[in-house]
Amino acid sequence: MNAKRKRPDTVSDSVTEQERIVHEVIRSKQDMGISQQDMKREINLHSNLIAKCIKSLVSKNLIKEVKNIHSRRQKHYMSAEFEPSNEITGGAWYVEGSLDKEYINVLKEQCWRKIYGLKVATLEGIADAIKRSNVSQIELSKQQVEEIVKALVLDNEVMEVRSTGTGEFASIPVGKACYKCAGKRGYGGEPKLGALASVPCGVCPQISRCTPDGIISPITCEYYKKWLEF
Amino acid sequence: MVTQYGIKYAVNLITAHFGDLVAKVCECLLRRGPLTLQAIVRSTELTSSQVKNSLLVLIQHNCVQAFILDQTGEHGDGAKQSTQYIALFDNIIQRWRFPKFLTMVSKKLDKQCVELLEGLLQHGRLTLKQMFDRAKSGQNEGDDVVQEAFVKLLNAHFIERCPASEPVLTNPTKEEEAARKRAAKSGKILEVQETLEQRVVEAAMPTEALRFLFATETEPTADGGKDKSNSSSVTPGEKRKHDAIESEAESGDTDEQVVLWRANIDEFIRHLRHKACIENVRARFDDGAVIVFGAMLEATRSAEKKVKTENSVPLSLSSIYEEVIKSEEGRNITFDRVRASLVQLSCPPFVKATNESYSVDFKKIIELAQHEEVESIVLKRYGRDAYRMFRLLSNSGHLLETDKVADATFVEKKETPIILYKLWKDDYLQLEKLQIGVKQTPFQLWKVNKSTLKVHVLDEMFHAAFNLSQRVAFELEQEKELSNVLQDKRVNRLRKRLLLESSQMKLDDAIMLFHDF
Repeated sequence: MNAKRKRPDTVSDSVTEQERIVHEVIRSKQDMGISQQDMKREINLHSNLIAKCIKSLVSKNLIKEVKNIHSRRQKHYMSAEFEPSNEITGGAWYVEGSLDKEYINVLKEQCWRKIYGLKVATLEGIADAIKRSNVSQIELSKQQVEEIVKALVLDNEVMEVRSTGTGEFASIPVGKACYKCAGKRGYGGEPKLGALASVPCGVCPQISRCTPDGIISPITCEYYKKWLEF
Repeated sequence: MVTQYGIKYAVNLITAHFGDLVAKVCECLLRRGPLTLQAIVRSTELTSSQVKNSLLVLIQHNCVQAFILDQTGEHGDGAKQSTQYIALFDNIIQRWRFPKFLTMVSKKLDKQCVELLEGLLQHGRLTLKQMFDRAKSGQNEGDDVVQEAFVKLLNAHFIERCPASEPVLTNPTKEEEAARKRAAKSGKILEVQETLEQRVVEAAMPTEALRFLFATETEPTADGGKDKSNSSSVTPGEKRKHDAIESEAESGDTDEQVVLWRANIDEFIRHLRHKACIENVRARFDDGAVIVFGAMLEATRSAEKKVKTENSVPLSLSSIYEEVIKSEEGRNITFDRVRASLVQLSCPPFVKATNESYSVDFKKIIELAQHEEVESIVLKRYGRDAYRMFRLLSNSGHLLETDKVADATFVEKKETPIILYKLWKDDYLQLEKLQIGVKQTPFQLWKVNKSTLKVHVLDEMFHAAFNLSQRVAFELEQEKELSNVLQDKRVNRLRKRLLLESSQMKLDDAIMLFHDF
């Protein structure tokens, strides 16, 4: 034991041998940190002892507890000198380990309004318009604006097109990606309901079990009954 | 694409129109593929004459085609020919669309044409004489009026000569087979191999020149136009060829009056396809663009050889303008406005421009409409988060990891796999697992396989359509039983039926989008 203690040690002397081992493991994970459960697997010590070491290390400000968006119920620890990686925090869109949906939705609508105003807009154009209007207290990076605009594309609110250099694209170099509002409906409107989606069978969770003479059948169907109620 | 529920839907239709016996023969052919008469008798356990009569009904209504499979020399024992019967699935489900065909003719042509077409749709195939007789018994119309309507329908290609009764189908030679394999390997031809059904239909079809040829005397004589005549519009060579086909079809009778005519389904479907494309354009662009787009379709329709044409014939700006100003609403459109509309129509790329000429990209428009239909199902069934995920995977076209999906769609990391799993369970997504370390949980990668999904959605559509028709039949039955209920209840019943029937029509439009276009 004595021989080991004389080894060069980055942790202060007031740390016990067990605490040192636990801290080493946590530090080796850098900005990813480690959960208490995973520690039990990696360190050959009794779980009660590990818990005790963690408590002591936290009180000495050598490690800190961080939120991990992947497992919110489990306790996750990181050496004090590191800042949690985006993979743990979820990145700029997360607050306290949860997705900040309200903020995202506000930004989405604002971006849509800018695109609507510009008719055809490049990413730079949108980012610039957002910056000038002070919608967000925190300045958004171009990448963040891009993420929001791409989400609008997935919502089918906006479509991505390539500039042809003529007509409405006259001021944009040929081939550059631009964004336009999709269709004639306003923001947040439902896309056109398809033919299959507008009959009960189109959204029926039991369709695979439905047969003419079965327990579930179009004649006895509850969804049909509701649909045909006048 | 004939799916399980497609067959059920088709058989249900045949049962409703021609009864159980005919439906049994039809189902046997749909499920087992082409069969000889004896094989059908064995398989259905009906008598030979029952099967024969059922087949005659089905052939009369263009639902079955007979053909001879030439297997000459396969076993070195000379010619071995047998007549086989194949069910024409595509033609069977067209029976749903007869009201749509009639509406189309009533809009484009006149009442007389509608009546003539109605007769053809009702009887499947008719000779000119039968059409005359039918018109006479109904409205006392003169032959010349009927003939005029007939010529109008023929010029519009809404009717055609019936196909050969028993075309000979030869097996592809070894060289042809090898050539096809080479083409498939090189990947240049991505077209799906022709089905037997398509080959038979193609073999039976009269040549393009003959298909719409009206060779009877143009002015009927006093005795009702019955005299045989070699029409001036037919060259002797063509006439001989034509007679040869007729003799095959009508056992040697060469009378022009016994040439059988039927509705030309392809032309109707082409019109409906164009209509669907225009509706798609209308949903995205202003009226000017719709008019220009419509004019392009009008100008190129006659050049389309098959229904599933991918691109229209290229048109110059001036020829598009020429077509635009033919219509009343197009007359106030300027040349520059047409040019601007064409630029508009190129994003999304509905119209492609190359060297100052423009062509309609049908494939793109149809694909987009199909995607919208599927996405609408996803949205309604699984919610907005799932809708975004599905669009992400569908647009990207390759495998994406769960976390990547969560990041791009702004969905909580923990909720993402749950939603993706639901989509996968219902066959809307494909899942691949990637194991890296032994201890690590495998990565889950997701993808939309568009071609298998298309078949799956079509089958769901056929299932839904089948269910709708079952429900309509049930409601009608109920109505009969409750014939003397209170007035307000009767109004409700009427509303119910209207909703059901309009849904049937709309769903059939979607089936066409996936099956016929």
